[in-house]
Amino acid sequence: MSAISIQSVSKRFPNGFEALKGIDAEIRSGSFTVVLGPSGAGKSTLLRLMNGLETPTTGMVRIDGEIVDRRKVRHIRSRVAMVFQQFNLVDRLSVVTNVLTGRLAHRSWVGSVFYLFRQEDLGIAREALCRVGLIDKAWSRADKLSGGQQQRVGIARALAQRPKVILADEPVASLDPVSSEEIMTLLREICDRDGITVVVNLHQVDLARRFADRIIGMNGGRIVFDGKPEEMTQSVLRTIYQREGIEDDTSLDMALAYA
Amino acid sequence: MTPALIWRWPTPNGLPPLPLVGGVLALLAGLWLTAPIVEVDFVRLIGSFGRMLAFAGQMFVTPDWEYVPQLLAKMLETIEMTVLSTAIAIVVSLPLGILAASNATPHPVVYRLTRDLLSLMRALPELVWALVFVSAVGLGPLPGVMALAFVTVGFMGKFFAESIEVVDHKAVEGVRAHGAGWLQVRLFAMLPQALPDFVGTVMYILDHNLRAAAILGLVGAGGIGYDLVMSMRLFQYDRLLLIALAIYVVVTVLDRASDRLRSRIIHGRRA
Repeated sequence: MSAISIQSVSKRFPNGFEALKGIDAEIRSGSFTVVLGPSGAGKSTLLRLMNGLETPTTGMVRIDGEIVDRRKVRHIRSRVAMVFQQFNLVDRLSVVTNVLTGRLAHRSWVGSVFYLFRQEDLGIAREALCRVGLIDKAWSRADKLSGGQQQRVGIARALAQRPKVILADEPVASLDPVSSEEIMTLLREICDRDGITVVVNLHQVDLARRFADRIIGMNGGRIVFDGKPEEMTQSVLRTIYQREGIEDDTSLDMALAYA
Repeated sequence: MTPALIWRWPTPNGLPPLPLVGGVLALLAGLWLTAPIVEVDFVRLIGSFGRMLAFAGQMFVTPDWEYVPQLLAKMLETIEMTVLSTAIAIVVSLPLGILAASNATPHPVVYRLTRDLLSLMRALPELVWALVFVSAVGLGPLPGVMALAFVTVGFMGKFFAESIEVVDHKAVEGVRAHGAGWLQVRLFAMLPQALPDFVGTVMYILDHNLRAAAILGLVGAGGIGYDLVMSMRLFQYDRLLLIALAIYVVVTVLDRASDRLRSRIIHGRRA
């Protein structure tokens, strides 16, 4: 069964920019999908629609059959976690408190007023931190950690939520190659072991090839490729990364020669 | 070929921006022309230099040590008024600050109304509100505390709101994306980020309120103010010296404490 179902979704921003021009896709439960495409192709917008951070202009997104709309957004978000390029942690809070914010969806505001969590929530947070190998940093402040470590805290926060789906928007774009490898391996392992559906936006073609079950290629707000990594040939990459109005794109040739 | 100039401004034509230069010149001309309205007169200023020296000279007296116990009692009352009014103001300002921050308010109308309420509260100085409260509840420190707390909410609410408005939106989105509710987003993503600014605001306001509390006695609203004004009117410079010194010491101690506290909060426990 499909965990995420996107039906003729388009998105036009108030400034007139059309980020998505009719997207249809079904994402199978427990799969690892990578969305590839140049900057401005609409990858981020597509991911943000799945979490209700944006609302589609037309069409609809369903998570486990439920439509993502404004009224049910908190309920949807309690099952759909998100990992960001800039980590989006609260710098001033401890690592463990950041992970605990992943539990807020399941708790009412009454305890939150006093920053109170349940014992079981702390257990879940500890478990998530062990999983990403940062239990020894639990009481450090989030901004004292390196980029790769902060991203692992971001993943621990996502895990603490006990989600069905993890959406990762360029999770390795600001990390060095070794940290990138760690983060991608971690996401892949979470997908395989916990059966969590993972959707990742990426810029790196090689990482997409190695980690994905399925690659969706986007360009100019449309899906231009949808298939297995081994089906992604040079000519497919050319379609994904081609730029409008540029005939002989030597930069494109050079970039793809090493992809 | 024209000789190359070594210096230039970082503008397209190398000249200073005309509106800026014009504006500054116009402002200076305006000030020069209007200064006589407030009787700023350099000749008179220089002429009165002698009398200023004479006044300063009168401060070189033996302090009136007999007065110290009463001074301490009055200073303690002043400090208590300051701390209490600031504490009351913090409790009231936090929710108002959230309502008055454009990125945290539940509705633009609420934002507008809260902003207007806050500017109304700080429209008149403490001394005027103190007069109002003295006539309402009678003489003593109570109307002083009420007046201070009232005006402080007006300032603190505005400052809190502005600290909330500049928090990093990414962290807010990070917490929101995980399904946190309205209040939870404000408590876990916005307040921690605004905290160092809050502490700075509170410390500045403590400093300001201490000085404000020091003159509220003028209208019978408690504190050291009554003694301050009386010693000046009765030419008791031996007392005035001690009062000025006491206020200075308390303000300085407060300033040092505020620096320490702020750096601890900004840089974490081990700075």
